[in-house]
Amino acid sequence: MNETLEKRHMGLRASRAISNTIIYVILIVMSVIWLFPFVCIVLQSFRVESTWQVGYVIPQKWGWDNYVALWNSDFKRWYLNTFVIALVVAALQTVIVLCMSYTLSRFRFKMRAGLMRFMLILGMFPGMLTMIILYRVLKDLGLTQANAVPGLILVYVASSGMGYYVSKGFFDTLPKSLDEAARVDGATRAQVLTKIILPLAKPIVIYTILTAFMGPWGDFVFARYVSFGTSAGMNVAVGMWNWLTPDMINQRYTMFCAGGVIVAIPVAILFMCLQKYYVEGVTGGAVKG
Amino acid sequence: MKKILAIILALTMIAALCACGGGAPAASGSAGSGGSASSGSGQAGSSGGELAGTYDITVWCPDNEVELRKAMIEEFNKTNTDGIVFNATVENVGEGEAATQLITDVEAGADLYNFASDQFARLVQANALAKLGSKAAEIVKEGNSPAAVDAVTIGGEMYAYPLTDNGFFMYYDKSVIPEDAVGSMDKIIEACEAAQKYLAFDVGSGWYLSAYFFGAGCVSQWSTDAEGHWNVNDDFNSDKGLIAMKGLNKLQASPFFLSKSGAAEFDAGAAVVMSGLWDAGAAKDILGDNLGAAPLPSFTVDGKDYQLKPFMGYKFIGVKTQTDAVKAAALHRLAQYLTSEEAQLQRFEAVTWAPVNVNAAAADAVKANPVIAADMLQQQCCTAQGQVNDGWWNLAAALSATAKESGDEAAYKAALQTYADGLEKLKNLREGLIFVGAWNGWNNADEADTYILTGDGDVKSLTIEVPESDYMGGRIVNIGSWETGMGAAQVKTGADLIDVAAGGDDNNIVFVNPGTYTVSIDTASGEISITAG
Repeated sequence: MNETLEKRHMGLRASRAISNTIIYVILIVMSVIWLFPFVCIVLQSFRVESTWQVGYVIPQKWGWDNYVALWNSDFKRWYLNTFVIALVVAALQTVIVLCMSYTLSRFRFKMRAGLMRFMLILGMFPGMLTMIILYRVLKDLGLTQANAVPGLILVYVASSGMGYYVSKGFFDTLPKSLDEAARVDGATRAQVLTKIILPLAKPIVIYTILTAFMGPWGDFVFARYVSFGTSAGMNVAVGMWNWLTPDMINQRYTMFCAGGVIVAIPVAILFMCLQKYYVEGVTGGAVKG
Repeated sequence: MKKILAIILALTMIAALCACGGGAPAASGSAGSGGSASSGSGQAGSSGGELAGTYDITVWCPDNEVELRKAMIEEFNKTNTDGIVFNATVENVGEGEAATQLITDVEAGADLYNFASDQFARLVQANALAKLGSKAAEIVKEGNSPAAVDAVTIGGEMYAYPLTDNGFFMYYDKSVIPEDAVGSMDKIIEACEAAQKYLAFDVGSGWYLSAYFFGAGCVSQWSTDAEGHWNVNDDFNSDKGLIAMKGLNKLQASPFFLSKSGAAEFDAGAAVVMSGLWDAGAAKDILGDNLGAAPLPSFTVDGKDYQLKPFMGYKFIGVKTQTDAVKAAALHRLAQYLTSEEAQLQRFEAVTWAPVNVNAAAADAVKANPVIAADMLQQQCCTAQGQVNDGWWNLAAALSATAKESGDEAAYKAALQTYADGLEKLKNLREGLIFVGAWNGWNNADEADTYILTGDGDVKSLTIEVPESDYMGGRIVNIGSWETGMGAAQVKTGADLIDVAAGGDDNNIVFVNPGTYTVSIDTASGEISITAG
């Protein structure tokens, strides 16, 4: 009796061990495939024996030369530009999106459904379509080239109200009776939003901040158009892209890698700190549409 | 409470605006008055000449020349006798990028910029290049070879200043490739295989690949007329083209062949890299004293040798069309200074660019540099790269894939035929004449080739079947257009076959009877002839 139990037990354990091994092997292979490019970039950014692309991964000589070279180039300015744009857009867009979502979720006014439908349809047009017109408008306002930073902020923020879907969905899941109770106790609409809804909707607030920050952080196409060859108005993506010419790639390759690492740092930190909210936020609005 | 929220929101907005405001001045501080491309303040002062004044300008040049360019403009400000002072913002915009960028918004573009010769036609069409005056043209003609002068001329007018050449040749590792092998591709491949080292030649790109075809004796010359219509003289689809395909097959059959370019390949195990002067520095750093440079070798097909002849273009400095004539004249002075003999020698010292000015190119220091020497030798044996239709590169690049896959002559012929068909399409898409009328449903964008008038030289013709219908009329137009200038009134031969009066205001050619007709037009004289059958 005992023996058979033992045997069965062993069998279970063995089969679990096998399946675990298989799963872990797959996971390890996948993470190697995923991480390899990133590891390469980090390693290349510390390679100082040559500045061009080479056929090996581990540097022969290590050093900070590439980062020093970055510090002495226009990279500083591009980085600052990108940071200012992303930060301001994250702040403004979050305020606009949350107000918008709250309004559409809690208020009932004429044309509410019509407005939502209208924005849904507007959102279906590819944003690139408007690029040329936006460029002309910005140019006439004097917000291109060296003044590209405020110009880009204007463009990114102007359309942010339309990204209300996820957070409105989340607000809809919060019971209306909470609002009503607060109203009965004498709270204004604004107090309801700031004191009742927002504390309950923390994940969605963080999700909104994250997406608002990420959009301008990685933008290339529009940023390139607006800066129009003027270094002072470029963001990192556009500025570094200019290094990738056949003339310069041999001198700039490792610097480019170092730039890539620096660009990734704030995003990585942001995600690490806010990761747990992010997942909640993405799925939060999915409960009720 | 509502008020407070409103105030908070307003404050947030203002704070944000301040943040932008704070970012912008900080960003533009070191760039001076960058971006104000068209805000030149050319006041003709009384000191110096009539060009005297201070001008705000933007200059585009590639990354490696930026510092040098700034120094040169400083030098120009100090030394010029006209009292011109340029307050220049120099930005890093490469030669390949400049045209693409400029064409989207000429007004915002740089006042003075570098560009590569293949961008020339586009820039002239976009009105982004100022014509050279007669004096400037004289200076360019004196200082440069006829080929370089040709390259900056369209329709009898000159538009730019030659700066340096833009071609490729062979870098090799002297420790692997013996001196007596450098002239022959076969021997080079042998040496590479023996040493287990790679040969990098990026024949996957039309620019590199065409060296084989030109080497075999083919031509491919694109030209544009004053209106910017394309024409091409191309015979890749011929026996000579077959030789090139065989040569390409032989090259790509080697296990040590790499379809890549760039000196970095030396670090990755290559012994031979076909590339241009932009790789000189890196190649020298990697190979040191082992670096050798030579013109491209010859390739052997069926026992006969053919010398590879690569494309060789130029890089130019152009002046953007200006609204202020005085500023334009001052800019031309600067462009002349920047492309002068001394400036080209200075550039050779600083960034190893080959001079194209005839005197600068003959300088001893230039000749003594082995890499430049190879480049100069290559200039003796090359195909001048004029303007090329943008669609051509992909069309040509497709040939190398076929040459790699099979050694079969029939496959080569099919690939060359596809190439020739593609060429015709490329040309017709922009230039073709088409018979538009009741037969093709008045479709003036006919890409089905059915109604396109074809033929070599000036006379283009088309045989059409005119079916019985109420209105048997039509006229000749350029694809995409509705022009009425090529119709009944231009018919000189066969006017009895058509009803001139029925053509109406649209000048249509209206046939009296159904049947088969051959319509041909002499594009030189504009005369149309119609014959039955």
